[in-house]
Amino acid sequence: MSTQAVLTDDLFAPEVIADPYTYFGALREIEPVHRNDRFGLWLVTGYEELVWILRHHELFSSAVIRHVEAPPYPPVDAADLPLFDEIRDFRANQLVEQDRPEHLHQRGVVHGYFTPKAMERWRPFVRSAVAELLDGVHAKGSMDVLTELAAPLPVRIIAEMMGVPYEDRDRLRAMADGILYINRGEPYRLRPLARAVRGIVDYASPLVRERIVDPGTDFISVLAEGENRGVFDRRQVLVNTGLLLFAGHETTMNLICNGLLAFIRNPEQWERLRADPKGMARLATEECLRYDPPVKSTQRIAAEDVEIAGRTIRKGESLRWIMAAANRDPAVFSDPDTFDIGRQPNPHLSFGSGIHYCLGATLARVEGQEVFRGLAERFSRFELATDRIEYQPSLQFRSVKSLPVRWPA
Amino acid sequence: MTKPPRRVPAALDIYVDHDRCVGNAMCLTLAPGVFAHNARRQSEVVDPEGDAIADIIVAAENCPTAAILLSDAATGEPYEV
Repeated sequence: MSTQAVLTDDLFAPEVIADPYTYFGALREIEPVHRNDRFGLWLVTGYEELVWILRHHELFSSAVIRHVEAPPYPPVDAADLPLFDEIRDFRANQLVEQDRPEHLHQRGVVHGYFTPKAMERWRPFVRSAVAELLDGVHAKGSMDVLTELAAPLPVRIIAEMMGVPYEDRDRLRAMADGILYINRGEPYRLRPLARAVRGIVDYASPLVRERIVDPGTDFISVLAEGENRGVFDRRQVLVNTGLLLFAGHETTMNLICNGLLAFIRNPEQWERLRADPKGMARLATEECLRYDPPVKSTQRIAAEDVEIAGRTIRKGESLRWIMAAANRDPAVFSDPDTFDIGRQPNPHLSFGSGIHYCLGATLARVEGQEVFRGLAERFSRFELATDRIEYQPSLQFRSVKSLPVRWPA
Repeated sequence: MTKPPRRVPAALDIYVDHDRCVGNAMCLTLAPGVFAHNARRQSEVVDPEGDAIADIIVAAENCPTAAILLSDAATGEPYEV
């Protein structure tokens, strides 16, 4: 069957951005590896195909930004195009854009900082940050979950991990907010983004200089140690500082907003969590990650000709693996479109798989568990204070533009 | 609460939980004599004595999904990393 006959090829169509599950779910059933000519992309939606691709990193390069020449989409103001190259150069130096052997050397520097045991030690800090934010809004009776909980929480944690002085928190928050424009559609978006990228370089440079000679236990010291060992150059240290600020922010924001929205729309699951917030937090967070994942899809470039699911992906062609679709593959998950916080096992692909498996996965889990637990312990119920949820026009991220909620006093 | 120092076992039983293993392959770098990929590119124990005990423990600690479970080969007691 021709997919064109039944489905749009516009991946930014309003209905695809609003509900990627119906669209990519249909693609998965028709053709789990599908060619989209309009965007010059292979779209991989089947669970098994996706796992196979992620575990064969030598066949699929992560150096996407360096190699993809396409102009920004949605389009940007023409006068801002020079900024695009500057931002590309910054992002192309990030750890996530490297292939082996460099990726292994660089990941080896930072990997130990993020082990499950090391991240578990952050739980008390995360819990108190959640408590502080929730105590601050409780009496109000309403909040925008995005701006009052989901965005500030991860920035507080990242600031602590970076070891930035308390009085610099607002400055860091402003930079973190600027980097979020990576994921937006506004034609002017490269300007706040470029400001944030330059701001990080300016802000982190003296911190790195200090830590090169006098390292502490913070994350910037870990990167500086990598420079001392000759794995990173200075530019890479600064770029990866920025990566932590973005990767740990956008994704956690989405986990919190998408998860709470799922609970609001599935009140029986909310009651299930409320009956045992501490006991259910772990499985509930995994189901939030599966059901409406923070990252919908990620890109790779074929490093050689690869045959998969009867299709041939040619060397140099781009592919997007859609974990939002694979997470609902009925071959792996029963009742995949049902939000079931008791689901176990739950082998979702929201953190990817293989050598690029999300470095911050355990931290994200701890944050999600503490947020959902904290919400369920303090609030009897939430209702949406809007009848329309809008999403950023992004293929990569599943990000609400706002999430206004209210609760009974 | 500070825990008393633990004795490191003289020999380890090593188990890789394939429900958790995501093929991150850090164990193949840290203890290459012990771990190798299977056909699904999940980690498998090919030789439990292929590396020093200290390296096996580091490999288990660095598993991002805590999929490598260790126990004392003599007593069967779990050795938590």
